[in-house]
Amino acid sequence: MTVTASHPYVASLLAGSTAVPKSPAAWLDARRAAALERANALAVPTTRDEEWRFTDLTPLTKLQFQPVTAAAAVSAADIAMYAVTEAAARLVFVDGIHVPALSQRGALPAGITAELLADGLKTHGALIEPHLAQLASGESDLFTSLNTAFLQHGVFIHAAKNASLQAPIHLLFVATRKDTATYPRCLIISEAGSKCCVIEDYVALGDEPYLTNTVTEIAVAPNAALCHIKVQREGGQAFHIGNCAVTLAKDARYLAHAVTFGARLSRNNLTVIQQGEGAHAQIDGIALIGGRQLADTHTLMDHARPNGSCEQSHKTIVGGAGHAVFNGKVFVREGAQQTDSSQQSRNLLLSDKARVDTKPQLEIFADDVKCAHGATVGQLDAEHLFYLKSRGLPERQARNLLTYAFGAEIIDRIPVPSLVAQLERSVMARTEAGA
Amino acid sequence: MSTVLDNLVSQPYKHGFVTDIESETAPKGLNEDIIRMISAKKHEPEWLLEFRLKAYRHWLTMTEPQWPNVRYPKIDFQAISYYAAPKPKLKKSMDEVDPELLRTFEKLGVPMHERAALAGVAVDVIFDSVSVTTTYKEKLAEVGIIFGSISDAVRDHPDLVRQYMGSVVPAGDNYYAALNSAVFTDGSFCFIPKGVKCPMDLSTYFRINTQDSGQFERTLIIAEEGATVSYLEGCTAPKFDTNQLHAAVVELVALDDADIKYSTVQNWYAGDEHGVGGIYNFVTKRGLCKGRNSKISWTQVETGSAITWKYPSCILLGENSIGEFYSVALTNHRQQADTGTKMIHIGKNTRSTIISKGISAGHSNNSYRGLVKIGPRAEGARNFSQCDSMLIGAKCGANTFPYIQVQNPTAKVEHEATTSKIGEDQLFYFQSRGIPTEEAVSMIINGFCKDVFQQLPMEFAVEATKLLGLKLEGSVG
Repeated sequence: MTVTASHPYVASLLAGSTAVPKSPAAWLDARRAAALERANALAVPTTRDEEWRFTDLTPLTKLQFQPVTAAAAVSAADIAMYAVTEAAARLVFVDGIHVPALSQRGALPAGITAELLADGLKTHGALIEPHLAQLASGESDLFTSLNTAFLQHGVFIHAAKNASLQAPIHLLFVATRKDTATYPRCLIISEAGSKCCVIEDYVALGDEPYLTNTVTEIAVAPNAALCHIKVQREGGQAFHIGNCAVTLAKDARYLAHAVTFGARLSRNNLTVIQQGEGAHAQIDGIALIGGRQLADTHTLMDHARPNGSCEQSHKTIVGGAGHAVFNGKVFVREGAQQTDSSQQSRNLLLSDKARVDTKPQLEIFADDVKCAHGATVGQLDAEHLFYLKSRGLPERQARNLLTYAFGAEIIDRIPVPSLVAQLERSVMARTEAGA
Repeated sequence: MSTVLDNLVSQPYKHGFVTDIESETAPKGLNEDIIRMISAKKHEPEWLLEFRLKAYRHWLTMTEPQWPNVRYPKIDFQAISYYAAPKPKLKKSMDEVDPELLRTFEKLGVPMHERAALAGVAVDVIFDSVSVTTTYKEKLAEVGIIFGSISDAVRDHPDLVRQYMGSVVPAGDNYYAALNSAVFTDGSFCFIPKGVKCPMDLSTYFRINTQDSGQFERTLIIAEEGATVSYLEGCTAPKFDTNQLHAAVVELVALDDADIKYSTVQNWYAGDEHGVGGIYNFVTKRGLCKGRNSKISWTQVETGSAITWKYPSCILLGENSIGEFYSVALTNHRQQADTGTKMIHIGKNTRSTIISKGISAGHSNNSYRGLVKIGPRAEGARNFSQCDSMLIGAKCGANTFPYIQVQNPTAKVEHEATTSKIGEDQLFYFQSRGIPTEEAVSMIINGFCKDVFQQLPMEFAVEATKLLGLKLEGSVG
């Protein structure tokens, strides 16, 4: 593999990709090589690209990031605050590299597997091949292609037919080092009738610039249910770019909760394709940002088959000179009759310099459907504030309480109490500090 | 139900005849000589020729917009004739107007002559590239209103035209606006002086008659302090199996406390059921609420054109100014529409309302595309948008692309959109009360569009309701 990127910045990102060792599967090496070739041909998107119109990646391209070859030393105490007590298993990655000493691979019930992708390829190779680097092919997406080109330290989660696990599996990605680029990868395969819950959690121990470029691929088989929680609490100088591709089979259920608190610049792409009839998706998102943070969420709900339903609610709370971007597309294809899809984008602006760009989109090619979307942008309701003040609450406290309540509506729906408690504490801390 | 709907849509286009009038047509193609020729034909002053040439030179550096959600073969701009005028040269009085031409407008039901008196509407009629007649000019002049063709205005009131033309839609604004600025032939000009409430509705009828010609009209309406005007616009074209280009520019300027209401019923030829022929309607319409408490209201009923690309917009610059957009867009067969509005809030306490109703039938594609932008200084700005779509049949598409950009925390912006169809239960309800399906469908559609039709002046509302009924005849089923 030679590096001949047409774009100098892409070349600098790809510099270490030749050092990635061969994988256990020849097909995976071929896919990696193809992804490298694609990445070589692509440029860093600019605001002239409709998909990146409001998110300027120039600050990213001013910095150089190197891939990591060995994990830094992190003690259990360093990450204790991120512990999710309910978790049935925890896999910890430091700077993108798995650290067994920090992980807890407790006894999972029969049929539930949470292991490294390298191990999964040995035991479930035939199952993985049709999904890995296929669900998220990254045709024209630089970051997905980069991730695949660097694909090495991934996670494989598998719920076999009718297997069920109530407790969540916690994947904790800890960033510690300046100027590094990490490429986490997750593949989740939920087989027919299975049920499980996965938390993807991105945290930082320092406040240095680094790049997290993550890709998650999810296949939910008929009648299976998956709860997928993504918590992004990266460091304040970090860049986080995440792509998640989900396919839903007949009567599958997918519940997504995305929480965005961190990173100087973050982009969260979620694509859900309903490939079987009657599949249901619930997509929740909350972004709480301030300072000079930019948080961009792009979602695509693709109703390709009839009788599907989707409920989406995305909220942003923007303080300081923060900038929130939301682009949510609901696509109902020809023949996808009886689709019921709704989308809400609610945005709260807390300061003069805060900015929101929201674009809820409907594209509908079937006539017997129920689709609706709504978007609001505003500040805290004067009447609500007055009510609280008339009950003796000082202005500041009343504001914090209302801001907190606005966000809590989304956070409270996460079915993991200890995580909810952690997140609520940080919302409180952020609103106290004036976001 | 499907047969009833099918029967409802296949109504032939009624305005598709060609009038056999000898016309004077410029050779096909576009270059500086053609522009000089148009300018010379119209005896234009030097500054206007300069305006045209500057726009043309800028246009050469631009590329066609690719972002609209419409598909069509590349337009050959050299295969279009940029000037077509009925011959012989028209006279000042209505009696001297070519009788063939008058018959054309009779057929179209355009109120002129005594009919104009009955309807109480002052009409400016534009046939291909030239304004052929304006009624009620004298009566309007008594109160100081200038209403007539833009060519006359250039001749009689050059300072006014020069001051405002291009002030809302700059010559290089976009590809089609630049083209229009280079080759525009005629259009309406309307000036309402300070404190005058226009005593009657003003109206312009546009007609494209010549094959292979394009129509590039330019309308400029200025309402001075405290002035009010209601302006109506109607459009039709004959049936040709080639596509014709219509690239108009409309500029509105409202000063302090002025109020402009602009209504359009657009019924250009839409092509046949296989999508052959029809008008490409690529129009730039923009209003500037320049003064305090000014108001601009756009109402449009878009039923014609093979392709519609049109975003009547408001720039809300003055404090407390108001922008409104009410739209019904109906597409059938192979029609494509990408239409909506832009509300740019710059001044304090500016308010805007957007009500858009899209109806798609047949194999058509109907998109709402809108922008609500609240600038950092637009304290207390307020917007409410509602964009509803109705689909008739399983082969059409309805899309909504609202852009909302807010940079001021005191602003309040709300947007909602729904998609629905005519429900079996709704039809059953009507039928159980003895109302036949066809009538029920038309009642449901009229109910769906009610919020917009209410904004139209009376005569136009009646026309629009009839038009929707005709267009949809046979499509419900």
